[in-house]
Amino acid sequence: MDTVALLLTLRLALVTTAILLVLAVPLAYWLAFTRSRWKTLIQAVCSLPIVLPPTVLGFYLLVGLGPSTAFGRAITHVLGHPLAFSFAGLVVGSVLYSLPFAVQPLTSGFAAVDRSLLDAATTLGSGRWDRMARVVLPLSRGSLLTAGVLSFAHTVGEFGVVLMIGGNLPGATRTLSIALYDQVQDFQYAQANRTALFLLAICLLALMFLYSRGQRRDSRSSDLA
Amino acid sequence: MPDLPISIAANAPWLSAHIEHHFQRDRAGFTLHLDFTASAQRTVVFGPSGSGKSSLLRAIAGLLQPDVASIQLHGTVVCQNMRGRQQRFFLAPEKRRVGLVMQNPAVFPHLTAARNVAFALHGTEKSAQKEKTIRLLQLVEADTLADRWPRELSGGQLQRVAIARTLAAEPSVLLLDEPFAALDAQSRQTISQNVHAWARERQVPVLTVTHNLEEAFAAGEEVLTMEEGRILAQGTPEQVLFEQREQLLQMLHATPSPGSVDNLRGK
Repeated sequence: MDTVALLLTLRLALVTTAILLVLAVPLAYWLAFTRSRWKTLIQAVCSLPIVLPPTVLGFYLLVGLGPSTAFGRAITHVLGHPLAFSFAGLVVGSVLYSLPFAVQPLTSGFAAVDRSLLDAATTLGSGRWDRMARVVLPLSRGSLLTAGVLSFAHTVGEFGVVLMIGGNLPGATRTLSIALYDQVQDFQYAQANRTALFLLAICLLALMFLYSRGQRRDSRSSDLA
Repeated sequence: MPDLPISIAANAPWLSAHIEHHFQRDRAGFTLHLDFTASAQRTVVFGPSGSGKSSLLRAIAGLLQPDVASIQLHGTVVCQNMRGRQQRFFLAPEKRRVGLVMQNPAVFPHLTAARNVAFALHGTEKSAQKEKTIRLLQLVEADTLADRWPRELSGGQLQRVAIARTLAAEPSVLLLDEPFAALDAQSRQTISQNVHAWARERQVPVLTVTHNLEEAFAAGEEVLTMEEGRILAQGTPEQVLFEQREQLLQMLHATPSPGSVDNLRGK
């Protein structure tokens, strides 16, 4: 198997997951508790990557981060190279592309926290962010794990965005899913099979891990009943 | 703090409230309309379920933002939202120092009983936290439960933890919403006495909400009776009991509470 591509894929998935959790927690907290009229719009925008062809997202990122926009030129000036066709560019694309997989489990987890617990914390002098840190997050550990695992698995499996924005540079932007594509193009089916099996196994294990946790929780609650 | 007039006199009311609020979603057409002051150390609000007692407490605590309101605690405005007035003000509930023990004890399930009590002591010195937590758990006769998890506790035990947790925050006003309902008669009396002694020592006024007639007229120095979002009467227990005898009996028939009718007739 292409170990360079494997390591790059794992690094991308880890960095993306870490950034996503930091970004998605406050965003999901806001979505779970706000009564703002902007909520619907923000919710829809956050979920767009689920239905949008990844090539559309990749295309706009390529254009937006390229030399044709002021933003793209500013980034090129700061970094010394364009964001497209670099690992940093891949991270930006992956974060956007996997955003709903982090935001949705967190939002529903946060919203499921009993409001009377939040009322109690409030009258005990706990402010908005303190309540998040000391009541909402500890009670949403399961959702945090789900968000992390789904973001990781989804980033490992992405193809379209990576291809559009990253190109196919070994060691910089050539992830496993792209390596698989190349192997098939070169008629190296045995190699392609190994890569494909590996990706399949990662995703299957991730989902089995999540479902096994859900099942354990269900059996525990039926014990109580 | 708001730049509104603050006045503290010797017998000044600790609570002055004008509250109007219309509930649309939960209860069709229910309107809360109250205007009263409270100056007694122990005030009891009595009324049948659904008369708006809990909403009154939530408005004082800041968990409910009424449509129209002017609420002062110890002479300080915490909510000002009157018709036609320019100046609007709403003090965030976490800054009001109002202790509220709700009917639902809402004990944090991810913390032990002791850590629940210490929740409001976050950031203070560990040994002081521990000492205060134990003292408050003793006050509600729950010191043996310190290391237990909420899922291991009964309803009455959870209520004790919730009471101790509220006192730990050193509130300047204590609001109790049927706080002793899940306790047996004997512990109810002891814990109620302890809590009131705690409050009197610190000159913290207590407002208790109950639909138990006996509790209302035995405990309070001042009684308010409520029905359908309005105040029917306010005064000493004797006054209210005398003036409102007929209405109180009707109220009791509307929401049967075993034993209470006989107690009233006996008096």
